[in-house]
Amino acid sequence: MSNKSFMECERTKLERWSQFQLANNWKTIGATICLLTLLTLIGIKFIDTEPSWLRDVLKRVLLVGLLIVVLSKEKVEDEMLQSLRAKAFTLAFIFGVLYSLVQPLADYVVHNYIYEASKENTFSYFQVLSFMLLVQIMFFEVLKRNR
Amino acid sequence: MENTIKVERAILNITQDDLAKRIGVSRQTINSIEANRYVPSTVLALKLSQVFNKPVNDFFKLNPDD
Repeated sequence: MSNKSFMECERTKLERWSQFQLANNWKTIGATICLLTLLTLIGIKFIDTEPSWLRDVLKRVLLVGLLIVVLSKEKVEDEMLQSLRAKAFTLAFIFGVLYSLVQPLADYVVHNYIYEASKENTFSYFQVLSFMLLVQIMFFEVLKRNR
Repeated sequence: MENTIKVERAILNITQDDLAKRIGVSRQTINSIEANRYVPSTVLALKLSQVFNKPVNDFFKLNPDD
């Protein structure tokens, strides 16, 4: 494969992947998954004999649900909505990075100065990813409403 | 960028919804274009040009700031 055709192939694949979206009905499926997972997560808080793996699995399912909502098309998906979606992704990325910079500091302050000192003042991938996905959904809805 | 899409639409006597359906976008997008909140792509501008049967320059004008 020549250098030029390799570049062309790479460009086409990237273009195709960057435009990947799910159909509109997936939004309802994603929202239902999120709601059910959230209710189950709240429910298992009151169960004494909770299996150790269940919480991790449910968190992953919740992330999948949020991702489905983020990737789902609107009923009429046009170029303006795509541009608003891109803006929301940019904002979510920036806020995600800021969150991961500020959160450990806030955790440190809270644990060492307000409460007793704790070694477990780290934050998980789940916190950052769910925060980014929720920020994307929120900004997209706000931008869509104000278009 | 300024535009006279509202005027062109009035000449053809069509609603925002009719125009949106003709060029395959949502009514809100037409509303945003008319209010100069959104600058459409070349593809969309050419679709509008087809509907109005006029060159794009007739209904899209550059501002001195652009």
